[in-house]
Amino acid sequence: MSEKILRAKGIVKKYGKQEVLHNIDLTLEPGKIYGLIGRNGAGKTTLLSILSAQNPAASGEICLGEEPVWENPGALQHIFFSREISPNGAADSSGLKVKDYLEMAEAYLPKWDKKMAEKLVELFHLDRKKKTMKLSKGMLSMLSIVLALASKADFTFLDEPVSGLDVVAREQFYRLLLEEFTETGRTFVISTHIIEEAADLFEEVIFLHEGRILLKENTQELLEHCIYVSGRAEEVDQAVQGKELHHQETLGRSKGVMVRLREGETLEKTEGITLQPVNLQKVFVALCGGEAG
Amino acid sequence: MQELLNQEKSIYLQIREMIEQDILRDILLEEERVPSTNELAKLYAINPATAAKGVNLLVDEGILYKKRGIGMFVASGAKEAIRKKRRERFFENYVKGMLTEAANLGISKEELIEMIAWEQGGNENE
Repeated sequence: MSEKILRAKGIVKKYGKQEVLHNIDLTLEPGKIYGLIGRNGAGKTTLLSILSAQNPAASGEICLGEEPVWENPGALQHIFFSREISPNGAADSSGLKVKDYLEMAEAYLPKWDKKMAEKLVELFHLDRKKKTMKLSKGMLSMLSIVLALASKADFTFLDEPVSGLDVVAREQFYRLLLEEFTETGRTFVISTHIIEEAADLFEEVIFLHEGRILLKENTQELLEHCIYVSGRAEEVDQAVQGKELHHQETLGRSKGVMVRLREGETLEKTEGITLQPVNLQKVFVALCGGEAG
Repeated sequence: MQELLNQEKSIYLQIREMIEQDILRDILLEEERVPSTNELAKLYAINPATAAKGVNLLVDEGILYKKRGIGMFVASGAKEAIRKKRRERFFENYVKGMLTEAANLGISKEELIEMIAWEQGGNENE
């Protein structure tokens, strides 16, 4: 297992004239599960494809350890981005069967674990002879999960791996992921819209908002620093004075607001106010929901 | 160890409390090995680092201890230590909240004491 860090420096990406990623700096440490969370169009898929050198950046650089990864097979064998497989994707791929994907993975991925892939294909009841264009959305997700887990790449990225999966299959995936992670210590970056279920899996979360990294923080610490304060408006205002506030809402005399404490800050509990913990989904909505605090 | 996690409290604090609870209930005995952080992580579908954080709090308090290369064990005297700790927090965790709510409702101290005495007396009559 490589102990190298994957680092993005000053990544800018443009599609035509539109800049979709603005000067992104990001450090991914070995042996962590990261959650990549952002709204539709925030740039998650683009970022993952650039980190894995499947897509060129307009400027900036991705390095594994000291080595730039672009057109560098030596570095790229450690990085694998399991893209969402689209049923009606590129015309040249729509006729491919499940087994074609598995064979391609075997040919291209140096650390491919064939045994594991076969076990997972069986577990998910994937029909190897079926064309991917005939697979349901959930089945396509399963195939991309098989590719990701069996790739054995030190840095493995999954884009919406649970989309279309039913709740049983999702829990199955979370367990498989943890099993693989605890056995190997590979690094995973997982983008998801189903935040709450997966929140406890992520050691760190990365919020991507409108092409910028809004935060990258230890999940548990982030949650401890975010507190919902409510009560009589004047008393709430007094308690949260000088703090970073998000998502203020007033109703009559009462008021609620999410406070994000800075390092070392505390919040005094007083008689007239209620302090409540906030879950990751609420934190995300408060920070990326558009209404400035 | 099979309680469900909720969202009221940090996950690692819940892991700590569940291990404590199992020690109090003799589900985990003193000088016995506790599940590893990887086992806890898989059981609860949580990140192993989070599980480790909960376990390490108990190591810091001397309730669990590490045997190098083998795992985590319940320290001898752990059960008594947990009871002592919880007794100290009993006022903060239960009595204070009860007093605040009683004050909100205009229940006097005398009435409160009467309720407690009545509850205990009631049990005797049954």
